[in-house]
Amino acid sequence: MTPERFRAIVDAYGADARHWPEAERAAASAWAAQHRSEADALLAQAAQLDVWLASDAAATDVAPDAALIERVIASAPNNRKLRQPRRLSLAWAGGGSRRAGWWWSGAAVAGVGLIGGLAGAFAVSFFLVTGNPSPGPESSYLTTGFGGTAADWSDE
Amino acid sequence: MEYAAYPEPRALSERDPDAELVAGVGRQEPAAVRTLVARKLPRLLALATRMLGDRMEAEDVAQEAFMRIWKQAPRWREGEARFDTWLHRVALNLCYDRLRAHREEPADELPDAADPAATPDAQLEAQSREARVRAALAALPARQREALVLNYYQELSNIEAAALMGITVDALESLLARARRNLRAQLAGDDLAGTRTSR
Repeated sequence: MTPERFRAIVDAYGADARHWPEAERAAASAWAAQHRSEADALLAQAAQLDVWLASDAAATDVAPDAALIERVIASAPNNRKLRQPRRLSLAWAGGGSRRAGWWWSGAAVAGVGLIGGLAGAFAVSFFLVTGNPSPGPESSYLTTGFGGTAADWSDE
Repeated sequence: MEYAAYPEPRALSERDPDAELVAGVGRQEPAAVRTLVARKLPRLLALATRMLGDRMEAEDVAQEAFMRIWKQAPRWREGEARFDTWLHRVALNLCYDRLRAHREEPADELPDAADPAATPDAQLEAQSREARVRAALAALPARQREALVLNYYQELSNIEAAALMGITVDALESLLARARRNLRAQLAGDDLAGTRTSR
């Protein structure tokens, strides 16, 4: 252990030997014991900051409140599984909850959309099976504006 | 007592002291969940409170960190990193996400705005010692604060803290020394209030 290294240790880790690097703790403590006055000057300066830092430890390291502890525990998977059936049972029972109301209105919209889709699919499939549209009054709508023009002019 | 099923962590043991407990959490054992919360929540709260300077935000970070634990625990395998180290990294990442949202980048240099000379002496005098220490910690560059919080308050070894921060032990010691110099300059009171802080 050199004086420079002892100073570097105290500058970085403070005066409390518990915070010093484990591999150098014994050597640094021995050096301090052998060079008392030099070490004390360095340690005294660092110890003042350690006292300040310790005051924050007392203020900040307070136990979490019970409500937070319970919220965290409740967020664990096994507890989440236990909560879910209660919500679902309310929804299925139509218990008047807002969540259940949204579920039913969403299902109604989805049902209407499904019926419309099926009707459209049926019409298209019918169209494909017959091959062409049924003749009749609507036939004029299915021909282009250029269809049959030669016959019209020949008549004149 | 349900907590007795899981041994207290010992810093110097070769095995990950949390491994058995995390395995229990992975199996969704209620006793393991309660014990892990009792063991880690205070540490996470203290870490996040010091990194963010805000208790409410720290509680949010702690809850988010536990959500990551619940997700990771069934797949946790002992051997790569200690669980406590991984958890610190998760919490620090969550803290840095919030610091970035507040536009505080994880720099290791002291911004000009943190100059203690800019703080009115009367205001400093009016604050309690604890509040002054908290304010001084909050004014540190984030990387200096991280190094100090991990090594001093979270009591991680220098090797663990350096690995967690992705730096060498020498770089960690440099950050620690600068952090302590800056804090000393800010907290020394009127005599040192006008001096420049180290960078």
